[in-house]
Amino acid sequence: MAADDDTDVFEITDFTTASDWERFIARLEEILHEWRLVNLPALPPVAKGEFTSETWEERTDELQFVDVKFDLAYHYLKSAEGTVAEKTQEQDEQDETKKDATPTVFEDMMSMDNDFPSRAHCLCRWYGLRNFIVLAPKSNADIIDIESRAKLLLSSITIALGNTGCSVPMFVQIQQKWRRLYTGTCVLPSATISFDMAHLKRLPQQCTHLAGLLDVFKSELGHAINPMPAVAVSVRFTYILQEWIHSSWPQTPPDFSIMGDEEVGCTGFGTLPFGACEDPVSELHLSCTWPCLSENIIVENQVYTDLDPLQAPQWSVRIAMTEDSQCLLNDYLSEFMSLCSNKKAMSELYTPEDESMAKTKLKKLKKRIKNKGRKWKYVYSYGKVILSQHFDPSADISQALTRLTEPTVPTLSSVMSQASNKAKVKTHECPIPGPLFNEMIFFLFPDARPKENDGSEIQSPEDLFGVPISRAELKQELAKQLKSAPLDCLTVRLATCVCIINKNHGGWKAVAQLWQEVILELRYRLENNFLISGIECGPPNMGSCILHQKLQMLNCCIEKRRKRALQSMERAAPDGSFDSSPRRMRHGSGDETLHDSPSHSAVVASEKCPRFSPLMKRNLMRPDSRTSLGIESCSGSDEEFFDCDESQKESEIDMETSESQSSTSVSQELGEKEAVAATEPEGRLRPFGNVKLKNSNEILYIPITQEPAPMTEDMLEEHAEVLAKLGTSAEGSQLRARMQSACLLSDMESFKAANPGCVLEDFVKWYSPRDWIEEEVEENGVTVVKGQLSQRMQIPGNMWSEVWQNARSVPASRQKRLFDDTKEAEKVLHFLSSLKPPQLAEHLLPVLIHAAIIRIIQEEDEELPKLKQLINQIVVKSAKVTRASNQTSRKYEDLIQLISLAETVIARAKSLKTKFTKDLLDQKEAEEELTHFVSSLLQQPEVAVRGGPCGPAGSVIHKLFVAAQKASHLVLEDDLPEEPTTPSHCADSEASKPPSTVPDFPEASAREYILRTIIPRPAPYSRPLPQRISKFFLFFSDDLYFLSDVSIAATTTSTTTSATTTSITTSATTTTSATTTTSTTTTSATTTTSTTTTSATTTTSATTTTSTTTTSATTTTSTTTTSATTTTSTTTTSATTTTSATTTTSTTTTSATTTTSTTTTSATTTTSATTTTSTTTTSATTTTSATTTTSTTTTSATTTTSTTTTSTTTSANTTSATTTTSAATTTSTTTTSTTTSATTTSATTTSTTTTSATTTSSIDSLAATQLQL
Amino acid sequence: MDDQDILTTLKILIIGESGVGKSSLLLRFTDDTFDPEQASTIGVDFKVKTITVEGNNKAKLAIWDTAGQERFRTLTPSYYRGAQGVILVYDVSSKQSFNKLDAWLNELETFATKHDLVKMLVGNKIDKERREVSKEEGLKFARKHRMLFIEASAKTKEGVQYAFEELVEKIIQTPGLWETDKQGLKLSENASDGSYSACGGYCVI
Repeated sequence: MAADDDTDVFEITDFTTASDWERFIARLEEILHEWRLVNLPALPPVAKGEFTSETWEERTDELQFVDVKFDLAYHYLKSAEGTVAEKTQEQDEQDETKKDATPTVFEDMMSMDNDFPSRAHCLCRWYGLRNFIVLAPKSNADIIDIESRAKLLLSSITIALGNTGCSVPMFVQIQQKWRRLYTGTCVLPSATISFDMAHLKRLPQQCTHLAGLLDVFKSELGHAINPMPAVAVSVRFTYILQEWIHSSWPQTPPDFSIMGDEEVGCTGFGTLPFGACEDPVSELHLSCTWPCLSENIIVENQVYTDLDPLQAPQWSVRIAMTEDSQCLLNDYLSEFMSLCSNKKAMSELYTPEDESMAKTKLKKLKKRIKNKGRKWKYVYSYGKVILSQHFDPSADISQALTRLTEPTVPTLSSVMSQASNKAKVKTHECPIPGPLFNEMIFFLFPDARPKENDGSEIQSPEDLFGVPISRAELKQELAKQLKSAPLDCLTVRLATCVCIINKNHGGWKAVAQLWQEVILELRYRLENNFLISGIECGPPNMGSCILHQKLQMLNCCIEKRRKRALQSMERAAPDGSFDSSPRRMRHGSGDETLHDSPSHSAVVASEKCPRFSPLMKRNLMRPDSRTSLGIESCSGSDEEFFDCDESQKESEIDMETSESQSSTSVSQELGEKEAVAATEPEGRLRPFGNVKLKNSNEILYIPITQEPAPMTEDMLEEHAEVLAKLGTSAEGSQLRARMQSACLLSDMESFKAANPGCVLEDFVKWYSPRDWIEEEVEENGVTVVKGQLSQRMQIPGNMWSEVWQNARSVPASRQKRLFDDTKEAEKVLHFLSSLKPPQLAEHLLPVLIHAAIIRIIQEEDEELPKLKQLINQIVVKSAKVTRASNQTSRKYEDLIQLISLAETVIARAKSLKTKFTKDLLDQKEAEEELTHFVSSLLQQPEVAVRGGPCGPAGSVIHKLFVAAQKASHLVLEDDLPEEPTTPSHCADSEASKPPSTVPDFPEASAREYILRTIIPRPAPYSRPLPQRISKFFLFFSDDLYFLSDVSIAATTTSTTTSATTTSITTSATTTTSATTTTSTTTTSATTTTSTTTTSATTTTSATTTTSTTTTSATTTTSTTTTSATTTTSTTTTSATTTTSATTTTSTTTTSATTTTSTTTTSATTTTSATTTTSTTTTSATTTTSATTTTSTTTTSATTTTSTTTTSTTTSANTTSATTTTSAATTTSTTTTSTTTSATTTSATTTSTTTTSATTTSSIDSLAATQLQL
Repeated sequence: MDDQDILTTLKILIIGESGVGKSSLLLRFTDDTFDPEQASTIGVDFKVKTITVEGNNKAKLAIWDTAGQERFRTLTPSYYRGAQGVILVYDVSSKQSFNKLDAWLNELETFATKHDLVKMLVGNKIDKERREVSKEEGLKFARKHRMLFIEASAKTKEGVQYAFEELVEKIIQTPGLWETDKQGLKLSENASDGSYSACGGYCVI
């Protein structure tokens, strides 16, 4: 404006924002600019189906009007956004060439390709918009429930849109949010669109069928044009199927209460429950669509309809899922997860006062331990709490603890639990009842089950974890990927069992009880040299979880003890055979209850002091009993490190089965040797080829050596750390080598024993052949092979020779054990017994996950690519999680969610499969089609039925409906003639259908109509613009309430200048009015709130707008609406009427200027209308006070006479909507009746045509206003 | 440990037949020396070196040198776990050491915990006159097993530095191989507690 300084015009342009309202609008504009929604070019139509296939995005911001906060959200189709960006660029280049393109909004509204999108924002459904902005109050307390407020917001929007030149439709959400009631507007350069909607409580007859709707539509459009162009109609009926006659959901929650009964096997503990308790599929929605029909070709009125669902060209189906169908696996897993983080279970057994008590006990105990000769350790743990009733409470606890002798001090926690005995833990489910508990133990340790009880009950692991052949590879892959445990092992059984009892039998207390018993069993097996069944032998597998490694370690120890025991037994009784099964040892026959059974008393008794029950003692007496040996070796083992004696040579050789081929020759030779050699060779394994000793002619023998000590991952960890800590210096290296030379020393000693008279060279030949360098040397013409040690071995004082010198000649059997199994076993047991239930659960998690994944694979439906993908995702994720360096249960949460998702998908698939069974098919060959249909149902929100009602899937759906209908009408199937429908002959079946029977389909639950046309409005010479009405009904079966919401898209004018006498003409066009029913609400909701508003119709006639600021103002002339509006109880509306003046001429121009008066704004509008003669100008000035608003108005000229002008000013805090003129137009802006009436009165004029235009709005049974002129 | 600017700690393994020069390679790399009287390794040995990778970042290499003797093989594979890179060494003057490579790879497959660890094949002792394995053979083997390949001599220094740097570079470039375990060997603080860390002890190196 600086440039204008020198001009004469003295004008102030005011851009200040003084009032709240102005600030609000300014902010709105700011956001629009920020989002770059200004001056968007017109976009090409959205391709078919893109509303569903493309993603919708949302951008949000906040703004404030006085103290009410609003959310502004821009919803847009992603592809639309993409093209926008492109387009704008294009446009920059070639400027405004495209002015004539159809605006995006019109394109959207008229596009038939995207009617009834299967998932989209409701506004998109109703108006077909690809992008729009929604203004909604932030909090529920601030809902816009007063119409004046709604109008105010709408005005603000209009102003903002007009100011910015933003052509994106914008909506205000009014009323409660769940009602999804919006009112909106869109400002285009040459037109304005207003979107309105209404909810009706009761639908007028007229609106229930197409014919009536067409009437409504046409009458709203006005009669000006003749002939009326044909209206295009899209219709969709939706039917809901809730009764599934042919199938019921079979799964019931597993009942574990019966478990433990004789006939129920233990399988229940090995299989994780799976599946949904409730039918995950609740409803089927069948939508029959008639896209783009011409109004002329179909008839639907009160008595007759062409719209038979069976004739519908398009069928599509969607499935409503049960929200929470209680998937069992998920339930169990989440329960297990919560056990992991159960603080109570961690702390309950462990309180401070217990601690002090325990400390004193511990002291006493240590004293006693010293006195005791027996080297037994017995670790008590919390689990005993449960068994405490079997204790003599007066018995000195420490007596039982006297067995604690191991150098490692028993954990406090283990002692603690003794102390906490007194505070008994009680739950109704815990302790687990005896028979059940026994069953569990036998499940975990199947070899402990008494033989006579063996039956077919025991399920092999293959049964438990069998997967389809096609998935065998995945199963293997899984075993490799996950750091868990082999599926057929104790660890997995334990995991599933703990998971199940945690859910069903008393939570962590039951887990504690079981775990305690498991530890007892493990200790028992250790002490009696029974291998733990179901844990593979061999060194711990680093690929498995730590708990499994520990168990493997324990088994290694047992194995070692067994070997030793075997040797000593053979020494004692060479032909003794033993039973390697612990059967009947610890557990009595399975039918006795634990608490009274001898086996149990055995346990209890042994806790007191004698570890062995009478039953066991009896066993001990048996000459062939393995136990006695076990005891013997056990008692002696700690002092004796020489576990083989001389006489076991042969037997030991035999034991090394893999290398026994030469055993006979060895023993022969041994025979010879024994006679000759001064120092007898010992511990020979086999000759080392033909290699001879260097200094004698003896054959070099490979000695029997000690196996290196097995290690679990954590031990190895420590070991590596220790080695690494020695540093990188030469001394460190030296020390490291020394530390690791134990194995070398042992081997050297064995070697020396096996090869008397040997030297280091001999040893190197065997041990490190590459350090023995042979050269062919010519000696006296003869080629002799001469060998020598490599250079590095010859270094004086090198480690090898040093160790060699220190090595004595001792066979492996008499060497110090490299692997101290006694100590290691105790370490493992200590580790295990100090695990509390949550810790145990954490350790079992990877294993449980493994089992759960297998379970999913077992149940997998291979026809679902989505599921396959999901499973792969689970496998990858679980591989990562189980291998993570520090395991915490939190890392598993996502994984468990994925697993339960997979479970839900499977349950749904199953449910659908039972519903769409093949026997419902007429043509068997169509099976494939049906399966395809079912699988796409699971993967897409809405599935088009191929072939519609005539396709195979369609016929099945038809049958389902028919069956449900019959059932609901209590018609017995037998009473009816056979349904003749054959899918290929729909028409025939239609004809031959018995006339008086129940209809095949129920009343449509929802009916949606979209009517479209393009006509010039309001005047014939107006530019033809799209008109659209869409109407949605939702019926509820019982009460006849429904909501209908009417949306009206009304237009505004486009101003064009056409010369008339004085002024400017505007031609106004109107758009459609649309009625919609939202399908949103549920019955209950609707009944209560019974809201409604009138349909009312508005439309404009000669209206006006030009200036940016105004618009908001409403203008109306009425049109009729019939429809409308039934009412709520409170109000009545009659909508009405009137054509407006508007005949030809009425032109209005408004020019609005804003002037500020003090702090307020006033918008003035002037209109001059005229044709005939009289011109009128109305100037409506309104002032807003801080709290409220104004809206402005307009005028229109009447045809005949002169008009009046009204100027309304509103008092400080009310709003006024004003209107006027002519043909008795009323604004639809009504507020309180008082004000409106006031205004109207002042605004009277002659009315030419109108009778009465009423607009009523009733809002939520608030006072309704009624306006009548 | 002055770990401030250490990007990551990498575990690298050196394996191969006995006497092919594993320890010598390592010594050449860490101390830039060569000891013709390098003793035969017993069990495993361990060295640390920090090198610069990718601009200013430093990577700490914890290099585990293993004994090649058959008898030690029951022991040493335990140390394979957690390694991000492995250097598989053979002696170009010993066909037999080359022929055993397959067995070593097998062992690696079995015991290494990271399946995408970076493998490098090094033909050592190229200073020797009597060659039994040609460079082509080495290349062929490396290509077949998708390894890095280089020939080197610990004695003459040739290729050694380059081999290690290349390996580290490759590890750094492999996503997901190293980022997650930054703690590396720092865990050793745990062990000094003296307590038998039953529950806290199994973190991966």
